[in-house]
Parts: sequence; C-alpha cells; structure tokens
Amino acid sequence: MSSPAFARNPSESSRLGNEPRLGVEQVSYAYSANPAQAPLFTLEATSFQARPGEIVAILGPNASGKSTLLQIIAGALQPLSGRVLLNGFVVHSLSPRTRAQRIAMVQQESRLLFPARAWEFVLQGRHAHGRSLRFETTDDVLIAKNALTQVGAAELSDRWMDQISGGEKQRVILARALAQQPLLLLLDEPTLHLDIAAQVGLLDALRRLAAENRYTVVIVTHELNLAAEYADQVVLMQRGRCLRVGPPASIYQRELLEQVFQTPLSVEFASNGRPRVTVLSGT
Amino acid sequence: MSLLLRLAALAAIAAFLFFATPLRAQSASPDSLSAPAFREVVDETGRTVHVPQPVRRIVSLAPSMTETVYALGLQDRLVGDTDYCDYPPDAQTKTKVGGGINPSLEKIASLHPDLVLVTKAFNLPETVHSLEGLGISSYATDPHTVHDIITSTKKVADLLGVPDAGAVVGDEMQHRLDQLQHQLATLPPRQVLFVVWTQPLISVGRSTFIADALLRAGAVSIVDSSQDWPHVSLEEVAHLQPDYLVFADSHSETVPAQVDALATLPAWRILSAVANRRFAVISDAVNRPAPRIVSAIEELAKQLHPEAFVEKPSDAKEKMVKQNFSQSTKPFQDFAFIKQNQPLVTHKTVGECACAL
Amino acid sequence: MRPLTLRRLLLQCLLLTVLLFFVVVVALKFGAVPVSLYALARDLLRVIFGQSSQISSDYGLIIQNIRLPRIILGIIVGASLSVAGTSFQALLRNPLADPYVLGVSSGAALGAILGLIAEPHLTLAPAFAGLLTPLCAFLGAAATIAAVYFLGRREGQIDSTTLLLGGVITASFLSALIMFLMSIVTSSNTRGMAFWLMGNLSTSFQKSVYWFLAAGFFVASGAIYTTANDLNLLLAGEKEAMHLGVDVRRVRLVVYVAASFLTGLAVSVSGAVGYVGLIVPHIMRFIFGSDHRTLLPTAALGGAIAVVVADTLARTVVAPNEIAVGAVTAIVGAPLFIYLLRRRLA
Repeated sequence: MSSPAFARNPSESSRLGNEPRLGVEQVSYAYSANPAQAPLFTLEATSFQARPGEIVAILGPNASGKSTLLQIIAGALQPLSGRVLLNGFVVHSLSPRTRAQRIAMVQQESRLLFPARAWEFVLQGRHAHGRSLRFETTDDVLIAKNALTQVGAAELSDRWMDQISGGEKQRVILARALAQQPLLLLLDEPTLHLDIAAQVGLLDALRRLAAENRYTVVIVTHELNLAAEYADQVVLMQRGRCLRVGPPASIYQRELLEQVFQTPLSVEFASNGRPRVTVLSGT
Repeated sequence: MSLLLRLAALAAIAAFLFFATPLRAQSASPDSLSAPAFREVVDETGRTVHVPQPVRRIVSLAPSMTETVYALGLQDRLVGDTDYCDYPPDAQTKTKVGGGINPSLEKIASLHPDLVLVTKAFNLPETVHSLEGLGISSYATDPHTVHDIITSTKKVADLLGVPDAGAVVGDEMQHRLDQLQHQLATLPPRQVLFVVWTQPLISVGRSTFIADALLRAGAVSIVDSSQDWPHVSLEEVAHLQPDYLVFADSHSETVPAQVDALATLPAWRILSAVANRRFAVISDAVNRPAPRIVSAIEELAKQLHPEAFVEKPSDAKEKMVKQNFSQSTKPFQDFAFIKQNQPLVTHKTVGECACAL
Repeated sequence: MRPLTLRRLLLQCLLLTVLLFFVVVVALKFGAVPVSLYALARDLLRVIFGQSSQISSDYGLIIQNIRLPRIILGIIVGASLSVAGTSFQALLRNPLADPYVLGVSSGAALGAILGLIAEPHLTLAPAFAGLLTPLCAFLGAAATIAAVYFLGRREGQIDSTTLLLGGVITASFLSALIMFLMSIVTSSNTRGMAFWLMGNLSTSFQKSVYWFLAAGFFVASGAIYTTANDLNLLLAGEKEAMHLGVDVRRVRLVVYVAASFLTGLAVSVSGAVGYVGLIVPHIMRFIFGSDHRTLLPTAALGGAIAVVVADTLARTVVAPNEIAVGAVTAIVGAPLFIYLLRRRLA
C-alpha cells in the first residue's frame, strides 16, 4: 500500500494514537571511566513523548548523546535519573525477554561468527516469544516470512548473510526487528552505509509500516533532510543536551540549526509543508 | 671514567672469570701437585675415560654407586653424593650435590673430585659432558643383569685401586646367588608382576637388571617388553593372572593398604593375586644395581618360596659350626662395612626390610 | 526455509547413537586380549539381563571389569569435552577455544600433583585411596574456575575478552607451578604424572564413580542445553542478543560454570585429552550446522565416538603395551584441524 503525503492537521491524530505510548521523562546519564574521576560524558535531562504510529527522529551532530539516549530507551542502559515508560511500564525494570517482546532495535550489526542464512537470521526475532528452549512453530515461520515480505526482501530468504549487499542486509535486519512484533521500533543511524536510493527506500518502508502496524518508531540520525521529510517529531540534541522537541517545522530554524551543526545553511519549506535544508559552502 | 674504559674494564673482568673458573676446578687437590698419572679405561657406555691415579676423592651421582663405594670399604674417599643416596645411613652425612638428573656442577667442582661415578639409567649424558668441560672425569656403569652388577662392581673396584675388595664383594654376591639357586633348583618359578606404579600400570622390561633379579629369586616377570618401563595393559595382566604382585617399597607398611585399595576396584579385583592378597614386598634395594640387590633377591625368594627356606636341624648346626670356626671367613649374612686391611667383621645392616608374609 | 524441528533433531541424534553403538562393539572386541564376537555377544547379553554373576570365563571378566568400564569412561569424557568445547566457543565467541583455554586442566593437574605429593603423608581408608588423585584434581579445577571467573568480570558480569585473557594467563601461571613442582617431586611420582598429563583412560575406579560421572555429565549438559537458543543469538552479537531477549548475564554464568564443571570432571579422571573439545564441535558444525540445539547433542555423541575410537587405537596398536590416548588424539587431531582450517579459509 503506497503512502500519500501526510498533511499536518488535526486529522493526524487519527493516524497517530491518542495516548502516548512512549514516555521519556527527565532521563539523564553520566559515564566516567573511573568512579573517582569526573564523568567523561553526560546526557542531561531529556524528555519527550511518542504515540503509536509516530516517527520520532533524534537529531544531532556526532557525540551529541543520541545513541546513548536510544540505548536508555531500549532499556540497555539504566538512566542516572528519570525513567522511560512504555505503555506505563518502566522499561529498565522489565526482564530482557519481556523487553524484547515490545522493543526491537536495529543497529550496526557485529560480524557473524558462523555463517547463517537470512531466514535463520530473521527467525531469531521470534526468540523472545515463547519459552527459551523451543523449536520454531509454523506461526513463527509465517511471521518471519511476512516480515521479509514487508521489507521487500522475500527473495533474499535463502541467501547467506555474508553474501548480500549492505542495503539488503539492512533490510533483513529490519525484518528481524519486525519479526519481534514490537510496539517500539528503534533504529540507530540506519542510513549510514546506504546509497541515496536505499535510504529513501528504507524510510518509505518505515513510514508505511508505522502507519500499517501502528509502530512507534524512534530513529537516531544526523541526516537533516531525511529527518525533516519523514519524522513527525524531532528531538534536537547537542553535546548531551536536548535543545528542543517538536515537529520539524518548529525545530528547523536557521539560526538554531546553524548553531547546532556549526555550518551555514538555508532552510526552505516544501509544498508538503516539510522543511528542506540546503548546506551553504564557503560563504 | 669514560664509557669505553668502563666497558673495557668489564670485559677484562669477565674474561678473567671465564678463564679462571675451569682452572680452579682443575687446581691442585692436595695430593696431586706432583705429576698426575692417568689411566685410560673404557666405561660401560663405551666412552674412553681418563682416570687420574690414584683416585683419592670420589663423587657419586647415583645411589647404587654410593652403596658400591661403601661395600668396597672406600667411604672415606667419598666426598660427595646425591640427595637420594640414603644407604647406608652414613651416606646421608656426606656433602650433597643435588639430584641425580640435575646435580649442582658448581658443588661438584668445589669438592675437587678425581672421579665422578654415574650410571646410564639414573644420570644424564649432559651431566657427564658438562663435567668433562670442567675437566672432571666420569665413569659410567650400565648393568642389565645381576651378573653385570657383579662384574661392574669388580671393574669399579679395580679402577679405584682396590681389586681385592672387589673380588671379595663380587665373590660374596656370586656365592649367595649360587646358594639361592641351589635352594630353588627343584621349584618351579612363580609368575609375578613387578609393580612400579599402579595407575597407570607400569612394570619393568626384559632387559632390566630388575627382571634378571626376579629370575634369580625364582620368579618370572609376566611382562616381556623391550621397553625398560613399559606401560602394561591391565587386560593382559588379567589374562595372564600372575601368582604374585611384587612391590619394592622402603615404606613396606603402606603396601598392604595400597593392595586393599586396589581390591575395591572391579578392574583389579579380577586378578586373583589382588583378591587373595598374594603380594610380596621387598626393599627398594632391588631398584639399585649395587651389591645389596642380592639381599633383596633373597628376601623375594623367601616370600615366594617359603618352603625352600625351612631350616632343617642339621643345616642349622652346620651354619653355627661354620660361623664359630673362623672370624675371618666371609660372613654368611649380609656384608656391609668392609674396612680395608682390617679383619672382616659382620654387621647386621640397618634398614633391611624384614617383611616376609 | 527449513527451520529445525524436533523430529529432525532426534533423527540426527539417532544416527550418531547407532554409530556410537557400532564403535562400542568394535572397541569391546579389540584389545590386548582378543575376544570372539560370539563370546562378546553372549557376555554382553548376560550383563544386560543382569546375570553378570554367570560370567565365568576369563574373557568375560576382562570385558566386564576392565574393558567395558574403560569404554564407558571414554564415552563420558569424550562427550563432556565436546560439549564443553562447543560451549566455550560460543561463550568466548572464538572458534579456537577449547575446554582447556581457561586454565581448568592446568588447575586440575596442579591439584593432582599436590595430591600425589601429600599422599604418602596421609592414611586413607582403602575405598578412598584411589579417589585421592581425581578428587584433588577436581578441587584444583574448581578453584581455578572460581579464580578465572573473578578475573574475567567487567562491570559485574563476564566479559568474553577479559575472560579469555584471564584464563590464558591463569593457565600459563599454573603450568609454570606444575613444572616447578614436578622438578622437586621424586622421580617415580612424576612418571605417573606425565602419563596423566597426556590424557589417559586406563585408570580404573569403583562403580559409584562412573555413576557420579554420568550424573554430573547429564546435569551440566542439560543446563547448557537449556541455553542453546540463547547461544545461537549470542553468536550473532552480544548487544543484539540482549535486544532480542537473551538474558546475557545469566546465560554467560550458567554456560561458564556448567562447561567448566564438565571439563573439570573429565580432566579429573582422565587427564588432559587434547583436541577432542576443539575439533569435534567444528566437525559437527560442518555436518549439521551451527544451531546449538543440534550442535550440542551431536557434539556430545561425536566426542564419545572420537574418544572411544582413539582409546581403542591407543590400547591395541602396540599391545600389550599402551600409548596415552591424548597422543592418539593429537596425532589425528592436529592434521584434521589444519584441514578444517584451510577449508574455512578457502
């Protein structure tokens, strides 16, 4: 099902749920190599909310604390203060198994130690559902097949993971995340090694899936234009501080972006109401 | 001082030390300041050895050699032995030079020996070569039978300048063995397993003097291997079912407990020798190719063939008459401290294991 | 898409079990004492039907009391080492890992040597005298397991790299200690030790020991098997595994303790039999794939087959003498490993 351009109007709330699913409340974090020393890195209190079907972009330059924030939302790190709520449950207090049934993470993949086929890989997403030691049921197989189809990678099913391209791999990883049947889909710089066509393809798919399956999607990225085009909400970060939270239109102001990204830009608004950023060079 | 001068001084000191040390090892032991005479012999490993004459200072690197030196009455010339040289007890008072495999060369050199006695089985060729490099001669024995032990002893005695003592000891040993053979002549030999180690099972090979000693005691080792210390299969032993197990242990009191422990294992219990506790314990003299091995052989014979040693009254009387007749005749019992040029006296040797079952 | 089913798993295990059965029959037939197949079958049936007391023939007793226990020991040791090796390869994310890489065998050897040194000074009831060495070895192994665990922790949980480093250092330190002790221990004791260090199945035990070993194997392997799926995911990546629902901390702890326990068990009774724990997992992976739900049981069966075959060779090639089974596994294992390595790289 192709997706029409979305208008920013009150009917948006029919696309997005009414109640916030994800609540990030005053989350902060500090990391020091040595307990006695001053922290090497801090994330200052950050808050935002997201509803079902919504795409949130955590935007900022490198070392702005984006990935750390994402890890905290995923429950992998415990915040120093504040909490993350998913449908009212504190994420960090859930067991890894329960978390995996609700939250799926897509990130840069480690090298596989032993070769695996794409369908085996995607089936791993079903691990959190059912007992730990089990054989996959026909339902699991169906869900996995479906997930591959949803990302447009059905033909990759029997291929070996180390023999497919970066873009194809990214899609298979996404399929695995979908196989988890999560409520919350987290992606850490998913477009990093992709060419422009693959980038657009991925984000189109995400937008479609978010709408169809009512996922809440949180993407960490530094790509200004992608965030502008696809996100319903943007969390702007710089050096561990959350500067502003809001729809792209309210975030994409030239002075603010120039200060954050340390580079001259110009901001325009396209016909669909989304901002578009052009990087100015030299002048 | 400049760096170059310092380096030169260091080099000079090092060179001095390097050349001085072997000289010190060679340097005059008190008696050999006069022109030393040498005797050239071939030892039992085929090496040509230059033995200074006379041999006044001896270091022994094997317990069997230590015992032999004592048996020949030359203990006053023994200036050093190994940590394992424990028999006779006096040997423990000698200066120790370390183990048999890794003795301290420095210590040996500091004792200024004229000759070092080694055996092929107990010592390493590296030790002999190192001693050669220090200008110290070593003589090696390598007996494979009990008869070899006798001839070795005589040869060593000759080398050390006491051929008569060697003849006495050798003939004594031969006499006792002949006596034993006579007593066991009509009896069939026992099938035995000589146990060096239980788990894994290690016994002795056919070319060892231990195997020959067993033969002399009226026993036959069921192990027929060309290796000296073969690992034997328990299955094979269970198949051959030896009459007796033979243990050589200086701590004889632990052996019955050891056999009891074996009897709890199903694999060992099927040996009738284990189930019926048929075992013999002899002193570890059997492990040393020295004159005392004859005592161990006799011990074993008594345990395996007790019926051959029942004293008939006429024999006992004969023995007493012989003993009373002359103090200077060779003693029937174990020889021990034969002092040179002194009337032969009998001593009951200390530490003999009297554990006939 | 053909996911693993219980039926396929059972079929694969059945195949290997049948192979193991044949190997055991052959092993029972061959030995220092030759036995006819007829006599073998007859006596085996008697054992199975509980009429062992009727076995009177020489051969029967040898089979029942020496050969059969030895084969059972070989099965348990082979299975334990293979499962431990598979587990460590997954835990440490390293295909070169074997059961001994974390120092367990060195700790066991040290324990055994200390036991040998202490033995003359202790008076033990006959039933326990033979158990002193394996018991000391197991204690040594346990102590090493604990020590390496504490060395291998980072931020409160086991970290693969830190664990590997800690284990390797511990192993070499313990080996140095062992060499030091062996140089001061009397020569007759070291003779026995050298054979033990190479891996040797000729030691015989009371019946209860075999039961204990079997029980220990099943408990520990069972514990590892419950994490089989988790291990599959762990191999895909640690961070990813956690996000997929694996309790990484708990899985690491269970696998570490259980696999080390298996290694300690095996080493205590047979010394360090090499290459089995390293190569059998790779062979099984090559045939059956990397899914640990299949890999663990097939590795166990494969290891049992490998050790029984090696031990049969060890006791028949130069009969009635024996060579250490570790020597056979090394001679066969090393070239096999090189072959596998080249295949991987090709």
